[in-house]
This record gives sequence, structure tokens and C-alpha cells, in this order.
Amino acid sequence: MSSQANPVAMAGVAGAVPADAGAAPRPSPPAGKRADRQRFQWSSLALLGPSLVLLAVLFVIPVIYAFYLGFTNLELVGPNAVNWHFTGTQNLQRLGSDPTFFLSLRLTLIFIVGSIVGVVVIGLALAVLLQNAVTWLRILVGGIVVVAWMMPAITAGMTWYASTTASGTFGTLLGMPNSDFLHHEPMLIVTLANVWSQTGFAMLVLGAALRNIPHEVLEAADMEDASRWQRFRLITLPMLRPTIVTTVLLITLISLANFALIYVMTQGGPGNSTNILPLYSYQQAFEFNNLAYGAIIGNVMVLVCAIFGVIYVRASRVRT
Amino acid sequence: MTAGVSASPPAAAAAPVLPPANAASRRSLSNKAVSNLLLALFGAAFLLPMVWLVLASLDSNATWSVEIPHLTGANFAAALSGSNLQSIINSIVLSGVSTAIATVCGALAAYALSRRRIPWKGPLLLIVLFLTGVPLAILIIPIFELFSDLGWLSILPCALFLAVTTLPFEIYLIKNFIDAVPQDLEEAARMERAGTTQILLKVIGPLAMPGIAAAAIFGFVTAWGSFLIPLVLITSPNQQPGSIAIFGFIGAAHVQYGNIAAFSLIYAVPIFLLYALSSRLFRGGFVLSGAVRG
Repeated sequence: MSSQANPVAMAGVAGAVPADAGAAPRPSPPAGKRADRQRFQWSSLALLGPSLVLLAVLFVIPVIYAFYLGFTNLELVGPNAVNWHFTGTQNLQRLGSDPTFFLSLRLTLIFIVGSIVGVVVIGLALAVLLQNAVTWLRILVGGIVVVAWMMPAITAGMTWYASTTASGTFGTLLGMPNSDFLHHEPMLIVTLANVWSQTGFAMLVLGAALRNIPHEVLEAADMEDASRWQRFRLITLPMLRPTIVTTVLLITLISLANFALIYVMTQGGPGNSTNILPLYSYQQAFEFNNLAYGAIIGNVMVLVCAIFGVIYVRASRVRT
Repeated sequence: MTAGVSASPPAAAAAPVLPPANAASRRSLSNKAVSNLLLALFGAAFLLPMVWLVLASLDSNATWSVEIPHLTGANFAAALSGSNLQSIINSIVLSGVSTAIATVCGALAAYALSRRRIPWKGPLLLIVLFLTGVPLAILIIPIFELFSDLGWLSILPCALFLAVTTLPFEIYLIKNFIDAVPQDLEEAARMERAGTTQILLKVIGPLAMPGIAAAAIFGFVTAWGSFLIPLVLITSPNQQPGSIAIFGFIGAAHVQYGNIAAFSLIYAVPIFLLYALSSRLFRGGFVLSGAVRG
């Protein structure tokens, strides 16, 4: 409508400006800022201010500070709580000769990779199965899996602790009521618990992506006599790839932040066997009072995150 | 199958076509049955750990094992009295304050980032995006140092810090919704001489409400489930939220299994309700294209 100029409105506008303005030759663009380009308004600062100040003071600066603290001798109590100073690579050397740290690093990788594989495989399987299921079963099973996902980590941890400890549900069901699975296979159990509590998210996201695959493509594959497996491997999977990469990235971050789940179930034990980096960092900082050493373990965590991040960015760029 | 039909001689074509078609439909039927069965098995596996939670919460002499409960409501009553009730109130205060701070600050910043010309907007957005991915466990040590120096190891500063941890994602979420509000509506309001405050409250606010509500729900759920941050940043036991209280139950000298189950269940209820609310928010859909005609 606006492109077809309304003569009445035009006349009105022309009447409003001084008469000679219309007759004058087209003016050259004025020097300085263009009037049609939005200019910086000072009120923007008031709008952005609270968030910027909060993020700077309580997020960005502390992250940088945490990095620095990793190279000091700060402690929670004692003389080094007050008179702490930069100690160079001392903490790094300690890391290099700390077997618990290397164990912790390995456990973290096992936990993350195990969680990713479990969550994506089971989540995808559920998403596909839900598509072909009868309605009542779809609502029931979908509901159960989503409820497991929604549970606060602390509740999920409690349920898994109760189910896998001696005389728990799993042992009873497998006919070994007195075996303490959580004690014998702690890493497997905490990873399973994490998979259990994250799968709902993958199921929802991958389910939505599955519904977005155009029908024509799948029908074309049927025409070509593609088997179900071929259809899944050659069409569905490549089309889901971006969603899978994003899901994997988020699961990595969430798993690495899922302190509460493991802390409730095992507190890193028995004997460090589930002591992944976030727990080890907490343990060093607040149980062994070694804040600086906890901070440098935190730095390693950031490095782990960054490495996973780079892998995912690469993976999402590779063309199929 | 079509290839097979065209290859066979025309006279024989009519007869052999039927049986394969039947077999195919039988196969797809059995495929359906298998996939439904598999799904039911998955469902059972996911349900299994929850069984104890529900049964023990109703059982007057619960243990770690699954038993037919001696029905009682006493566990829930105990979970909602005395210090347990206090910890739930603390959770509400902690999550409520944190959500309010993050959502108000986030909405204002999101509006500016969506509509205003801001120098270095690109890098700024990139930093905010980067912050959503920083593992929070590394922040806890410097923040603990800072807050203990300031004498801030209590519930409200902890709420402030929780707000900051959810802020980057909330900004992104709300910004996406404001981006979808047509600019024309705002310009129309500006023509009528509406100020920024009025535009925010009367145009952007209501139209981006599903996004703001989603961000608030995200903030509340995150704060409600937080464990490590209140564990470190709140020293006084009677200010600690429910998540820490549950943990205290396990270490108690006389473990009350029924109470643990009931309290864990109660603690999960607000989250279930909020998720239900947010799915309702989105199911209704909100169509803004209808607001601008021509």
C-alpha cells in the first residue's frame, strides 16, 4: 500500500514544508551522520546497564580472576588465606604429578562420552519409536521419559541412589537383592543415571527434527525400494545431523555441570572412582581448603569444554 | 516389488502380486508390534527408578527396597513441617528473587540489543553467547572469595549470583522473541508519542510475553535445581534451600527413608507444574503477523 503513493497524503506533506524546499535542486547529502540511520541513544545505556554491570562484575571478571587464582597459593583457611601470592607454575607441576587428577580427567571423559552416546542413541530410538507408536503408548512412555528429564538433579540422584544401593529396586529385580550396584559399578551407575535424566531432552528435540523431515524425501526413497535401515541411514540421519550436533554440545555442557547428581549419589567415591573434575575441584577447594588448586582444576575443565566445543564446530561444518 | 512385477510375464502377473502384498502388510503389522513392544520396554526401564520414590513416600516404614507400602500420609506431613518447610520457603525466596532480577534485567537488555543501535553489538552478543557455555563450577571459587570478603555468604547475595548465571541465556531467549515483534507496531506507538517506558510496558512487554515467561520459567527451574552454588554460598543452615536439605537427610544419624522420598517428590512438583505451564504457553502459539496488515 505504501509503495503506491497516496496523492492526498503527499499533498499534505508537501504543504507542511516550506514552499521553496520542493523547488530547490536535490540537496547533496549533508555532511555528518545520516538522519535515517539509527543513532546511539543514551537511554540504551540505561537499558543495558544492569545486565552489563552484573555480567561484568559477577561473571566475566570472576572467570578471569579464577584463571589467575589457579596460579597462586590461596587457601580457604590458615596463613595463605590472607597472605597469598602468585606462585607461577607450581600448581601446574602439582597437577602433572597428581594421579587423582589424571584419574579424574579420565573419569570425566568416560562420563561425558558415555552420557552423549547413551542420550543420543536412546533419545533417537525413542523419537523414532514414538512416531510409529499407538497413541496411548506414545503419551504414556513419552510422559515417563519427560518426567525423568524434568526432575531436579537432586531428586534424580536420590531415586537412583535408592534404586541401585543394596536391597534397591534393581538388585531385587535381578534376583540379587544384597548386591550394591552403586558400590561395585559406580561409574556405570552414575552415567546411567545421567543418561536417564537427560534423554527426555534429546527425545523432544530429535522428535521435533524428525517431524520436520519432508515426506516427499522419504516417499522418494520408498519408490527406490530403499529398506527401512537404508532410509534411516541415508536420509533421516544426515538430515538430523545439525540437531544431533547441537544436542551433543548441550548434553556435554549439562553433564559437566551435573555436580548435584553425582554428589548426592556417591560424593565422588567410593575411593575417587566417580570423582569427575567438577567434584574434584570442589573437593580440593572446599574440603581440602586448597582454593588455588581447585581453581586450576577448574581451568582444566574450561579447557576440556573448549576442546569439545572446537570438535563440535568442526563436526557441524563438515559437508556430507 | 514394482521391478519384480514388470519383469514377470504379463500372463502370470495377476496371480503372484497378491501374496507378496499380503506378506508386506503382515510384515509391517509385525514391525508395528515390535516397535510398540520396544517402546513399552523403554518406558518400563525409565519408570523403574521412580517406583521406589512413589511407594516409599507413602510407606510408614519405608526402607531402600521396594515394598508394598503401609499407606500413610505422615511422610508428606513431615516433609512439609518444621525445618523442612523452612527449606522449601528458602527455595521459593531464592528462586523467586533470582528469577525476578534475571528476567527484568534480561528483558531490558534484550530490548536494547534487539532494537537499538549499539556500538560493538556483534562482539557483545558473542560474549553473552560464550557465557552461556562457561562451566559454572569454575566461577564458584572466585565468587566465594568475593562474597566472603564482603560478608555476603547468605541467601540474597546467593540469589543475585544465581540470577547472573541464568542471565546470558535469558537475554538470548527474550531477544529472539522481541526480534519477532514487528517493528511497525513500535513505530505506530512512537507516532502516538509513546515514550520508551510506555513502549516497553504496553507494546513489547505484552507481545513478547511468551518469551519473557519462558525465560522466567527457565530461570526459576535452574535456580530451584541449583545445588553447588547454595552449598558454597549460603553458610547459615536455616537459610539453605530444599536441595541441600534433601542431601542432609541421607547423612542423618537415623535415616528416614519415607521422608526423603516424600520430600524429593514435593521438591519436584513445582518444576513439573512450571513445565506444564510453559508447554501450554507455546502450544497456543502466538501469531504476530496478524497484527500488521497490508
